[in-house]
Parts: sequence; structure tokens; C-alpha cells
Amino acid sequence: MAFIAGICVLIGIAACLSILIGAVEIYPGDIGKIILNKMMGREFFACTWEDNVETIIWNIRLPRVLMACIVGAGLSVCGVLMQALTKNSLADPYVLGISSGASAGAVCAIVLGLFSFMGGYSTMFGATLGATVSIILSLKIASLRGRITSTQLVLAGIATSALFTALTNLFIYGFHTGSDKTKTAQYWMVGSLSGASWGKTGYVAVVFALAIVVILLFARDLDVLLLGDDVAENLGVNTGRIKLVIIIMSTLLTGVVVSVSGVIGFIGLVVPHMVRTIVGSKHKRLIPAVILVGGLFTMAADMVSRVVIAPEELPIGIISALIGAPFFLYLIRSSKAR
Amino acid sequence: MRLSVRQLDYQIEGTTILKNISLEIREGEFVGLVGPNGCGKSTLLKAIYKTYKPQKGAVFVDGRDVCGLAPREMAREMAVMAQENSVEFDLEVMDMVMYGRYSHRKFFEGEKKEDREICLRFIREVGLAGYEHRSYLSLSGGEKQRVLLARALTQGSRLIVLDEPTNHLDVRFQYLIMQTLKKQDVTVFSSIHDLNLAAMYCDRILLMDQGQIIQAGTPEEVITAENIGRIFGVDTQITVNELTGKIQVYYLPDETGI
Repeated sequence: MAFIAGICVLIGIAACLSILIGAVEIYPGDIGKIILNKMMGREFFACTWEDNVETIIWNIRLPRVLMACIVGAGLSVCGVLMQALTKNSLADPYVLGISSGASAGAVCAIVLGLFSFMGGYSTMFGATLGATVSIILSLKIASLRGRITSTQLVLAGIATSALFTALTNLFIYGFHTGSDKTKTAQYWMVGSLSGASWGKTGYVAVVFALAIVVILLFARDLDVLLLGDDVAENLGVNTGRIKLVIIIMSTLLTGVVVSVSGVIGFIGLVVPHMVRTIVGSKHKRLIPAVILVGGLFTMAADMVSRVVIAPEELPIGIISALIGAPFFLYLIRSSKAR
Repeated sequence: MRLSVRQLDYQIEGTTILKNISLEIREGEFVGLVGPNGCGKSTLLKAIYKTYKPQKGAVFVDGRDVCGLAPREMAREMAVMAQENSVEFDLEVMDMVMYGRYSHRKFFEGEKKEDREICLRFIREVGLAGYEHRSYLSLSGGEKQRVLLARALTQGSRLIVLDEPTNHLDVRFQYLIMQTLKKQDVTVFSSIHDLNLAAMYCDRILLMDQGQIIQAGTPEEVITAENIGRIFGVDTQITVNELTGKIQVYYLPDETGI
């Protein structure tokens, strides 16, 4: 409980800092006033700031902070789900090739200009479609020999990943080499939150909320599933149903997250791992904790990515891996010592 | 709780593992399944508890085909204790045992006081009182096996199927596990490696070889020097122990040139 409260406080601090930091200087007091004004829909506080400050806070920084939070939380939850599905604590949201599929779809949209009928949403549409295709392919490959085992799932994911990564690179190198589009595509493949807007934030938020509600309903099934499919079945769990729930929810969530932020690595692996060592593996506690820590971690990483080479910004994927990798090594070391 | 298996065949990639197996276990019986390594004991048990789907034949619990039972219903009819080595995520002993109550809890229902009491009772019964909050992965092999037994018992089903529950355990825990099982008011069907242990606790023994059940009967009828010589290839002397009144097998491997 103290842990949850502590994380909430940290999230609040990180959110304020994240809004404050940037090229345009902002007074901390104005943040609350502007947000309250916007939410009340009228001038609750007298306007003592310039118009552009309001625009920057409300239209640029706030949606970005919220999106960072949801993206991080979503990736972390997907990490937990994939770990339950494969019974492997080293699985991440991308283990079944969802990320490569989403990349291929998005790059298709960016470089080749496919799905242009979707207008501004063509990249998001491409990514979600790619994610869906890749998971279907992974499951088909895994079930070639009848029973789907955890090992077969992981192997099928590797094969699917390799295939879609090759396709993505083919699109990038095979067409329009060196163009702006290629740069956009590459930026997107490392993961970035720079395109945040209220529209995108709302869209991930709705999917995220839906997925979390469904997953929490099945929290106890997830607990028992960690013991292995056969054992769970003997204890009375309908393993076919829970696996279907996991696959649908995590594909939906990862697909949507990747479609707005690109492929941000490491968060979905490090956060669940870290939180497990603190609250244990019971999903009723694990999932809420992972949502908070995932949100916090991503917000912090996003802040760093904006500051490091200001006024330019680094893709957040680079930062999350740079912070995540050493931290992960530390975790592995300290858990061995136990 | 009556368990019956009728004309069960099972093949894995063209190799026949089980051939036309039929057996009947009556309410309240303690039945042992013995046979050499690779004779199909585990496969038969897995077919009974539905991990494997047989190509031909069927398994009935109280006259109902197990394939027609939903997982939750099945778990209330039959508890399973098999070898489990694949737990990668750590959890507390109490949580592990509580999973045995899964099939009794409704969707989204919390832990009831009654469930906790049942768990605590069986944790005590297998001699692990005070271990409730220990981490499962930190336990020794014998302790883990006893946790799994406690979990199977909390399931509250009238039939328990076990796959070599005493495997890798020292003498004390072998007897502790069998003794705990014997005390319960349930039907037990278990594969057992140790013939003396089987003779001591079983009402009836099924002898299996090469995917078939060769003989079924009381320990005295089945565990004979002739059978052991033929199936395990080891000469034996079999006597009746004065204290227990049960048969005792002495192995005489010199005769076979081992």
C-alpha cells in the first residue's frame, strides 16, 4: 500500500516536471490554473499568462505526458500478459512478433503511402493491421504440430519477427532511399512520443481502459496459469479461454500503443520484472502496480529524451533501453544473490 | 467415486503407447499402478486426467465421460498430483495451496474464510504448519511434494490421481505422503515405483507392461516372484512381514548376473 502511494506521488511530481521542462519557460503555478480552467470550461483563474503558454501546456505537453503514461502502462501490462502466456519471465510484449508486424505495417503506410484512404490515421491503421497479421501468423506457426506449447510460441514469434523485420527493411531500403519518409520510418521504429496529441491520447486511453477491465476480471486465472497449462487445467482453469483472452487483449493493446508511439523497447520487460520482485506475482496486485510503475518509468524516460540534446530530442526508445539495460543487469545480479 | 477406463488406445506419432486398456476402480479403494519404466504408466494417468486425448476409448468418472466435463467440473471430481518442475514465478505456500480451491470459487469471488480454513487444515496435515508464508521455490523437494499434496487435497474431490508421488523422496517423506493419503476418505489411484510401498498401502494393484495391464488383484496376488522376474527381470524372495502382515520383497540381483 505504501508502495502504491509512493509511486502515485512520484507520478504527480514527474508529470509536473515533465510539463515544466521545455524550450518555453513556464511558472509551476500556472500549470494547475490552466488545467483547471480548461476542465471547468471557463476562466476560473484570471489569465496572467500569455496565450502561447496555454497552447503549449494544454495542446502539446499535457497530452504528451498523459500519452507517455498510458503507453508505458500498456506496454508493461502486455509484458505481464506475455510472461503468463509463455511462462517465461523474460518475455516482453513483442515476443510474438507484434512489434515487427506493427513496424512493417506502419512503414508500409509511411514509405509506400498505403492506406491513404485513412487520412491522418494511415500509420496507426497500418501498425494495428500489421500487429494483427503477425499474431495470427505466429499462432498458425506455433500450432503446426497440434498442441501449442510455450516453447513453440516463442520460436514462432522469433520466426515471425525475423520475417517482418526483413520486410520492413526491404520497404525502407528498397524504395525512396534517403528520403524524409525513410527518416520518419526509422524514427518510428525506435519509438517516439513526439507525435502526441489529444486525439491519439484519447484513442489509446479508451483501448487501454477496456483491456485493463477485461484482464482484471481474469486475474485469478492468470495466477493459476503461471503454474503451467496442464496444471492449470487440472485445477479447473479453462486454459483455452484464458489464453484467447490474453492474446486478443495484448494484441489489441500492443497494436494500439505501437501505432501511436512506435516500438519502444525494454519497458515491457523491465517494469514487470522490477515490480514482481516487490509485490510478487499475484495479478490482482501485480497489474495495478505495473500500470503505475510503467507510467512513471515512461514519463521519466520521455523527460530525459527531451532534455539530453535540447533543443533537439532523442527517440524515447533509445533512452528507455539506456536506462533499462543496466538496471536490468542490476536486478538479475541481486536476484541471483537471494 | 467410481473410475472406469474402457478400451483405451493411445498413440504418439504412430507409436502405440497404450493398448486396449480397461480398468475399474471402486469407491474408496486405494489402487496402485506398478510397472517398469516406459511401460505407459504416466501416459495412462495423463489420459485419465485429460492432459492427453486418447484416440480410442474413454474414461468415465461415476459414469460420466471426462471429455464431456468442463475443466471446473472436472477439477471438482478429480484432483491430480503430478510431477511439477516448471514453476518459474515464485509464490507463497499458502497461495499455492489456495489454488486447489479455484474450482470452488465463483467468477470474481474473493477468498472466503472457509477456503482459508481448509487450506490451513491440509497444510497442517502434511506437516507444514508454519510454512504458510514461505516461498515455494525455496522449499526442498520433499516439502514441495507435500505442498502439492496439500493442494490436491484442498480440491475436495473424492478421487485423487497421483503420478509417483513419492519420487525422489527419502524414506520418511515417502511414508508420510502415503500415510496422509490413506487417512483421507477418498478414492486413490496412484502410480508407485516402490513395490514394498505399494504392497503396504494398496488395496489392489494393477501391473502394467508394454502398454497393457497384465494383471490386477491384491498385492499378494500381483506381487509374486514369477511376475517380477518376468517383467522387471530381477529375481526376488517374497515373504510376509511378521509385524505388518504385509508382503515384503527382497531383491536378489546376483542370480541374474547384474
